[in-house]
Amino acid sequence: MILHTLHAMSPSASFQDCLRTAQPEDTIVLLGDGVYNALAGSHAADLLAANPVRVVALDSDAAAAGLQGKLGDTPVVSMDDFVALSEHYPRHLAWY
Amino acid sequence: MVIRQSPYGSSLARAAVDLSLAMGAFEQHFDLLFMGAGVLQLLPDQDSAGIGLKSIGKVLSSLPLYDVERVYVDADALLRHGINADQLVLPVQALDTLALQELLNSADQLVSC
Amino acid sequence: MIYTLLVLSSPTSGHGARTAYRFAQAALARGHDIERIFFLDEGTTAGSQAAVYPQDEESRLQPWIELATHHGVELVLCISSALKRGILDAGEAERYEKPAATAHPAFVISGLGQLIDASAKADRLMTFAR
Repeated sequence: MILHTLHAMSPSASFQDCLRTAQPEDTIVLLGDGVYNALAGSHAADLLAANPVRVVALDSDAAAAGLQGKLGDTPVVSMDDFVALSEHYPRHLAWY
Repeated sequence: MVIRQSPYGSSLARAAVDLSLAMGAFEQHFDLLFMGAGVLQLLPDQDSAGIGLKSIGKVLSSLPLYDVERVYVDADALLRHGINADQLVLPVQALDTLALQELLNSADQLVSC
Repeated sequence: MIYTLLVLSSPTSGHGARTAYRFAQAALARGHDIERIFFLDEGTTAGSQAAVYPQDEESRLQPWIELATHHGVELVLCISSALKRGILDAGEAERYEKPAATAHPAFVISGLGQLIDASAKADRLMTFAR
């Protein structure tokens, strides 16, 4: 069980390796430029959707990118939610 | 510890190597996993004199002196970068995706640098 | 729970460092303890008191000072990363005969052992990058 934070955009080795390493019970939090991976209609978003891992985006970073309402089914989470997630997962891995 | 940086493209690689040496010196139990461009740190014959930096490969080859024995590499990264696991500065164990997931999930804590 | 945070990115490179202190604030608000926040590599530039940021943007130094002074959070800059970036405390500035102490006193400059120690004590180790 790992909480992944993904700062890198697709296409990149970090994006690829994050998705390859993630297991269905993990969660990926999209941060920084990583939020663009959830932009509905993008190739990255399709890749994320095809993976059973749970994906969420940090609200402040998604808002800064102008992605409100453009993230399809990817939920947006607050910083408080992010901390709550970290309580649940004993391990955290940052991909950048 | 997951290592992903190429050796000389950023200072982070050197910081990560220093951290792994410090972990060894403090007798911490840890596994080193080289992924992505990190596998390039393990290439032999790094003659870094011309760029004025210490050779990362040389420093890594001294890890066994610090009782750091468990060094793993992502087999996928070796393939992508066209590298043979037998020709590296350290004896390593190449892992496929499943084994990699198992290794990561067996750790108490993870850090990637 | 006890958290240790590792900050790798500088305040001028993306906003990962800001995400780190917002995470720290939120963790404290949820009742957690922060063992230490360790700044490594580019992250050490967060400790500069010589940096001048745009006046019309949120301060990139003040939130760290508040974490240290109001919440007693220990902020540690990795010495080798800090020195090569010109982030020196008074002792180092004197030792190396540099013109000024550029590290804000809210930060302590120390070695990797502090990161290792803080990680060993923590329930959670979180890494913040660019």
